[in-house]
Amino acid sequence: MSATSVQPTIRWNGKSIAVTEGDSLAAALWRAGVTTFARSRKLHRPLAWTGAHAVGALAAVNGLPNTRLDQTPARAGTVVSMQNCWPGPGFDLLRLMQILPERLLYGGFEHGHLMPSSGLSYRLAERMMAYLAGVADTAPTGWEGAAIPGRDITVDHLIIGGGPEGIRAANAVAAAGLSVALVTRGRTPARFARNAGQEIPVLDPRVDLHKETEAFGGYRDGDLVLAAPVNGTGAAVVFRPGQITLATGRRSMPPVVRGNHLPGVFDAHAGLNLAAEHGVRLGRRVAVIGTGDEVALAARLRDLGHEVVHTGPAAGLDRIEGRARVRAIRVAGRRILCDTLVHAGPWRADPNLGFQLAAEGHYQLLDAALPVRVTRIGAATLAPEPIHIPAQPDKSALICPCMDVTLGELLSHIDAGEHDPEILKRLTSCGMGTCQGWPCWDSMLAVLAARTGTRPEDHARPSHRPPRRAITIAQAAGLAGLVEPDK
Amino acid sequence: MTPLPRSASTVIIGGGVQGLSAAFNLAEMGQTGIVVIDAGYWQGGASGRNGTLIRPGFASTAWTELFMLTVAEWKTWSKRLGENVMFTQRGYSVVSEKAASAAMLEEATAMQRDLGIRSRMLKSAEISDLLPAINRKRVLAVQHQEEGGVAPHHAALKGLRAYCEHRGVALHYRTKITGIEVTDGRASAVWIGDHRIDAGNILSCAGPDNPDMARLAGVEIDGFGMKIEAMALEPTRPLIKPAIALIDSLAYFHQTSRGEVVGGTEVPERPRMSLRVDVPVMAEMARIYLEMFPQLGPVRILRHWAGQLHASTDYAPLLGEHPARPGLWFSAGWSYGFAGAPAAGRLLAGAIGKGHIDSRMKPFALDRFQTTGPIIEKGIVLA
Ligand SMILES: Cc1cc2nc3c(=O)[nH]c(=O)nc-3n(C[C@H](O)[C@H](O)[C@H](O)COP(=O)(O)OP(=O)(O)OC[C@H]3O[C@@H](n4cnc5c(N)ncnc54)[C@H](O)[C@@H]3O)c2cc1C
Repeated sequence: MSATSVQPTIRWNGKSIAVTEGDSLAAALWRAGVTTFARSRKLHRPLAWTGAHAVGALAAVNGLPNTRLDQTPARAGTVVSMQNCWPGPGFDLLRLMQILPERLLYGGFEHGHLMPSSGLSYRLAERMMAYLAGVADTAPTGWEGAAIPGRDITVDHLIIGGGPEGIRAANAVAAAGLSVALVTRGRTPARFARNAGQEIPVLDPRVDLHKETEAFGGYRDGDLVLAAPVNGTGAAVVFRPGQITLATGRRSMPPVVRGNHLPGVFDAHAGLNLAAEHGVRLGRRVAVIGTGDEVALAARLRDLGHEVVHTGPAAGLDRIEGRARVRAIRVAGRRILCDTLVHAGPWRADPNLGFQLAAEGHYQLLDAALPVRVTRIGAATLAPEPIHIPAQPDKSALICPCMDVTLGELLSHIDAGEHDPEILKRLTSCGMGTCQGWPCWDSMLAVLAARTGTRPEDHARPSHRPPRRAITIAQAAGLAGLVEPDK
Repeated sequence: MTPLPRSASTVIIGGGVQGLSAAFNLAEMGQTGIVVIDAGYWQGGASGRNGTLIRPGFASTAWTELFMLTVAEWKTWSKRLGENVMFTQRGYSVVSEKAASAAMLEEATAMQRDLGIRSRMLKSAEISDLLPAINRKRVLAVQHQEEGGVAPHHAALKGLRAYCEHRGVALHYRTKITGIEVTDGRASAVWIGDHRIDAGNILSCAGPDNPDMARLAGVEIDGFGMKIEAMALEPTRPLIKPAIALIDSLAYFHQTSRGEVVGGTEVPERPRMSLRVDVPVMAEMARIYLEMFPQLGPVRILRHWAGQLHASTDYAPLLGEHPARPGLWFSAGWSYGFAGAPAAGRLLAGAIGKGHIDSRMKPFALDRFQTTGPIIEKGIVLA
């Protein structure tokens, strides 16, 4: 490095932060010791990127609100600021909301009995509410409002998910001489497996690779699958596949305990992304829990230079303590000091695409068998692992961080006799935010089942809908005219 | 769940906003023994899937008089129901992009003002004031109705349900009407599988299934089922104040108090009964947003859903007793049925409970196609 070169920096709430080549914004911030990226919408709890929910990873980037910090590269000069604060991130009065009792905000501001009920006073209250709920302003007016022309791709075989299984499946199709496209969210295929230190099969160059792209919608029994680059500015794609393979793997479900939203809690994907891919130290003292994979994960984190102070089963976790970040966990009555908790299980497959491709209904969309052209492979085929709900659940555990829905709020309706997931969703807004129901509906169904002595699968899932924020208006506008209405 | 009753003063088929509004108005008038039966879940029909836009003024006097009543009723609902239905008269702008629709709006404005509605054609400076983010290049004229606005459907349905439960109306969801019994030409009972409920009157508010309900009673009703779709964008701070209808682009939307821009458009599709969504509506709606409000370009789409309607051939509601099947009433054919529910509930309760057919209901009679003819209404966002 020459003497004149300076390390590139970004700005976070006006402060300068050094970045390392290849960093995502989330990696750069966490490396610099920034642990609160966002605030929850009702109680303004501190949130950061956890992997399980996107809401903690949203900030305004160069004026563009709701940008995912884990998916955006930290280029020199990038200006990042926290949303959902007023008047500003430095001096934020909204943080006072944290002192409100949780109960007061069950149902949200919207349903609150605090609201005046009609006329002008309600209109004023509504405007205030809208301002507070809106999180951030839209992009500045100078934005060039052009549609981003979409692409239309016909392939013999579409593979969704670029893990080792997806790569092997794509290679097999390519070897058979058929056209094949592979869609993966990662910057490279098999990101998670690579970060976990596994051997990765090499992708056949004949495979049409769509990286940093999310497949978010399946339509007309799979005649059409929609995908869009995660940056919000690349061309969206209409795939017309002969066959579809879902190699979408599984994610680890956040524990349903007090403090589960705190910065410092990571799922295995996010934790390894920071620790392995970006070489960021997650914290000084790391606890690892899981349903079997915690031992291997702990070993990997030790290899990456972390001090692991606890390794144990996910169901043994009683609570997570801390105000602005994890400070300790409680396991079987024992308090273990740590500033980071990484969970590797219970593992469950994302039901969204399968539901969209299969579900049909007149009164309600109900899940059904996948169309014949669709197959699941790899971890996505494994049975969902049960989500542990403690016998005495802690009401402050967050079920849906996007909409700030606690376990207590859910129980208030369940205990009043409301056992229909679609209605629980509408009464609480659980699953109606950034993540659109994944993983929070799995947690919600686990709570419902535990409370009513039933099984989660006894209850019909709320409808999983596309595109769960995977496409912008400009990207979607570029699809107009590409697909003929079904006549 | 409480067991199904064996008899009822009025059986209401469908517990959407229409059915619940009728139940509420009947109960408020003092009727007891009201039963509401719904095959789906509470808020599961179009009533829980709509754009929640409400306005008094249309291009025909028949529609306008009905919807003036509905706005007046909306204003009273929070108080009468004892729950905040969050009706806000933040204004409703009808935007024209073509000379023909601009002329239609001018004419409609004159008629609406004669009837006492505060509607006006906006001057250029007013458009910029009220809709600072709109793409002026696309706008030819804007009619603004001050008394229009929105009411979130979850709030309205919560209020209606709470009132009905409190007043002893029997609400049964996930319960399907499978038969309608006719005695001496009159609809006299409903069947739910092998359970029979004797009914003084039957009111069908079954949305897309209204034609099926008519058939169960051995008669026909005008119209057909159709699917329409809408979507919600990721919340942002307020950008669009009033509710908006684009009369030429066939789109309608508003920004909710949660910050989401919610709305939909129509693309010509094979009519179909399903809750599945498809690509063209999402793409078309995005194109319209981008052209009208370019700032929405980088905003992400959260979710996209479908709902089903019963559309009559003139898109006007069908209100009243079936001429060939006494005892069987309809609140059907609704495409603006969320906005229209307070008026319809009141008028139908008056008709069923007191035998009074209000003059504002008469033009919407089921047999109008054979008598007075279809209602020509050019101010609606449907084609
Ligand atoms: C996307 C969309 C946007 C819309 N936007 C607006 C708007 O902005 N403003 C507006 O005013 N209107 C709007 N509408 C229209 C409005 O939603 C409907 O007109 C209105 O909700 C109709 O109410 P309903 O109670 O008649 O029907 P629904 O809410 O559909 O209720 C019908 C009920 O009947 C039940 N049912 C059916 N068959 C049976 C049976 N055999 N036995 C028992 N029950 C049965 C169903 O389960 C259902 O719950 C929109 C609709 C959609 C889909």
